[in-house]
Amino acid sequence: MASVEISGLRKLYGDVVALSDISISIPSGTFYTLLGPSGCGKTTLLRTIAGFHQQSAGQIAVDGSSIEHLPAHQRDVAMVFQDYAVFPHLSVRDNVAFGLKQRRIPAKEITRQVEEVLEVVELGKFVDRMPHELSGGQQQRVGLARAIVVRPKVLLMDEPLSNLDARLRVDLRAELRRIQRDLGITTIYVTHDQEEALAMSDVVCVMEGGIIQQAATPLDVYLRPSNRFVASFVGANNFLQVGNFKGECVLKCCGSSVSQHLPAGPVVCALRPEDISVKVDEDPSSLLNTEISIPVQIKEVSFIGREMEIFATTDNGEAIKAVGRSDSKVIALPVDSRAWFCVERQNLSFFRDSELGERV
Amino acid sequence: MAFSFPRHRPDFWTWITISIVAVLCILLILPILRVLTLGFIDPDTGSLTLDNFIEVFTRNYYLNGLKNTLFVGALGTLGACLIGIPLAFFTTRFLITGKTLISTLAILVLVSPPFISAYAWIMMMGSNGVITNFFGGIGINIPTIYGAHGIILVFSLKFFPFIFLMTQTALTAVNKSFEDAAENLGCSPWQRFVKVTLPLVFPAVSTGAIICFVLSIADFGTPAILGRGFRTLSTIALSAYRSELGGPPTMAVTVSILMMAISMIALVAQRRILANRRYASSLTNLPVAVKLSGWKNAAVHFFSHGIVFLAMLPSAVVVYTSFLKTKGPVFVGGFGLESYDRIWRDAPDAIYNSFLFAIIAVTFITITSGLISYVIVRRDTKAAAAIDFLMMVPYLVPGVVMAIGFVTVFRNGMPNFFGPAFLLVMIYYIRRLPYGVRSTTSSLRQIKPSLEEAAVNLGATPLGAFVKITVPLIFPGIVVGALMGFITAINELSSTLILYDAGTITMPVKVYLAVLDGEFGLAAALSTILLLSTGACVYAVFRFAENRNSAFI
Ligand SMILES: Nc1ncnc2c1ncn2[C@@H]1O[C@H](COP(=O)(O)OP(=O)(O)O)[C@@H](O)[C@H]1O
Ligand SMILES: [Mg+2]
Repeated sequence: MASVEISGLRKLYGDVVALSDISISIPSGTFYTLLGPSGCGKTTLLRTIAGFHQQSAGQIAVDGSSIEHLPAHQRDVAMVFQDYAVFPHLSVRDNVAFGLKQRRIPAKEITRQVEEVLEVVELGKFVDRMPHELSGGQQQRVGLARAIVVRPKVLLMDEPLSNLDARLRVDLRAELRRIQRDLGITTIYVTHDQEEALAMSDVVCVMEGGIIQQAATPLDVYLRPSNRFVASFVGANNFLQVGNFKGECVLKCCGSSVSQHLPAGPVVCALRPEDISVKVDEDPSSLLNTEISIPVQIKEVSFIGREMEIFATTDNGEAIKAVGRSDSKVIALPVDSRAWFCVERQNLSFFRDSELGERV
Repeated sequence: MAFSFPRHRPDFWTWITISIVAVLCILLILPILRVLTLGFIDPDTGSLTLDNFIEVFTRNYYLNGLKNTLFVGALGTLGACLIGIPLAFFTTRFLITGKTLISTLAILVLVSPPFISAYAWIMMMGSNGVITNFFGGIGINIPTIYGAHGIILVFSLKFFPFIFLMTQTALTAVNKSFEDAAENLGCSPWQRFVKVTLPLVFPAVSTGAIICFVLSIADFGTPAILGRGFRTLSTIALSAYRSELGGPPTMAVTVSILMMAISMIALVAQRRILANRRYASSLTNLPVAVKLSGWKNAAVHFFSHGIVFLAMLPSAVVVYTSFLKTKGPVFVGGFGLESYDRIWRDAPDAIYNSFLFAIIAVTFITITSGLISYVIVRRDTKAAAAIDFLMMVPYLVPGVVMAIGFVTVFRNGMPNFFGPAFLLVMIYYIRRLPYGVRSTTSSLRQIKPSLEEAAVNLGATPLGAFVKITVPLIFPGIVVGALMGFITAINELSSTLILYDAGTITMPVKVYLAVLDGEFGLAAALSTILLLSTGACVYAVFRFAENRNSAFI
């Protein structure tokens, strides 16, 4: 168990900036997830912590002592690999014992610890199997057991579940989280799957372009995204142009006043598809003052079982999408028919109109 | 935010890379550079000059050598193509009984040394050969094997396996749909072969042909044994070297530069031709072998088995001859073990030296090829790319040339500081290192880098991870590389002829000298030992290699 402190970390590949000025602080025992699209620098950050890449600048400290100058084999941070990296020529037992042997632990003690950890990952019956006799999920359990058996200060995982099929991924996700909680081990977990990130983490750190966009609890990241990128990457979002009309901020598409006090400069209004309710034949003027209604033209309604997705355009041509409980009246709507998308004002949020525009 | 630049500490693999580059500089680059510079220096005044090259390009002695070299090289390669391509086509497209036997024999032909077949042909078709005498006895005078045609015959029968094996691999990967389409568009089988199939396997054929050509140019034993006045650049280089002993080997070096230039030009030309011929092929519709019937079937079988029989004939003759009863250099009729008896009396040191030098060289090759492969495959540095490139150079530098380079570097000014034994081991090492590296490299490319990272992550040092994880996983590749290195080292003739002395004679040299002395029994017994060791290694490669054919080419 240990805290991790990273400050001013930069990593360049030639001219390419893979990480730029990363500073994060991870309290002991936290399940900390790096979330972001492919190519945003997650793997680079994780591998720099593990010592497989040399940082261009910055410090990495574990429990207050800096490790950035140590070679990889002295860092005491254990890694679980995306492709499992289970040694194919060693049995499950020898795989798990590998790190313990490096630490010159007595043979008897190794046997005991290996068997114990294999019980934890539910592979007790498989000690003497060879890796090629195991399924992908089982191999990844060996990878996990091998990493945690050495009681590392920090556990690093780079998309450990992404090579598994969907069902197994969800099962193993819960199990990983349980084991991590039981051991209380500080964990840095990399994924591009937002559902995985939200479900497992204490803290989700959203990255893009080698820069940290937001690091907060899953609920905060979802409800209070710090900028437009986070708002669109975590969960789905609609962005509508906001204009200024007689000193009031209004939605350009329908003229509804949305707020009195927004800063100067272009701003967009974000509304989540699941916050929208679709009104087909009610008079929108009867709405409460706490809601706004946006007249739209329906383009497509797709019924996907538990819910339906409604794709529409506003009067000035902006695409907008709503998600809701299936409603036969809505599903029956012909293309190009009129409807109203209604949202409570408190569910609107505002961002500066740029890719990484901050929340206002 | 203050930037702190990390202290740069060279890690384990950086040290290894530096060491490899240092070794290659001393054993490979330096000798070649010495050869290159000496050719441009006037031996008497020491000043820069082009006179040496002017001499080579104006005197008939050298010009003929150049013409002869290109002549036998080109025709030998052509012969190898004419044998290898049909054989590859037949064995992949038709059901041939004994197909495995054919490729096994082809591999044996490929690895056995050319000078042995050259002198076996003398025993069959030399002035006193079995076949010559047989026809002479019934009043027909057939031409002897000596001269250009003999050399071309030996080259064709010796080097066709390169073409055969490479074309065969390519043919099994050609999508049958292409051929079906051609047939569907109205091509006759022959047109289809010439217009579609052959162009598709052209990259493989031309790579095989380049190997044949480079090996023909470099080959010393065959023209030396069969030439009889027909001189090629390699024999000229050796004579020049011998006549220049004591002074700078200027003319030997100038001829060497010419030989290297020919190999380089051939390689570059082939690369250029290939540059815009890359055929991606999906393996959805694999070709199937059809069963022929009637005279076609008989003809195809006759050709396929006949060729490998003919190519194996010299080895068979050698083994047979070694068991003939002899009295001194004369065969006295009947069988006996006198030849083997004579080796134990006359040449035990040659056997001992051959094995000793080859084993030491291969030990070094085995230890270093794993490390070199690791640097080439895993390290993304300029040095790694340079090492990868340098591993191709020994293939292109003829043995005679490399040996002359060694002499000019290691004997110049420090007489016998490095003994002949040391130089021989070193030259075997550097010339055969690429065999080891190529084999381990292809094994290593199949190993995920995350395995080594996992080991390091769990606390193993870089060397520890290499020894505990990488080496066990690439072990078959290491063994195959070592065996290939051993086969080629123990059969080495050309560079040994330049570097050996009385105490460091090897089996190939002894065979060569015995042939020149007309001691055919002794030569046969020694050659048999060489062939047996080679055969045993080939068998071992078959046991270890994942793909038996590709291990050899
Ligand atoms: N070895 C490398 N050389 C050059 N660029 C690299 C290398 N590894 C990664 N990159 C670049 O750095 C960026 C971050 O990559 P990575 O950390 O692998 O992203 P992620 O894991 O988030 O998908 C990408 O733009 C990628 O192209
Ligand atoms: Mg990644």
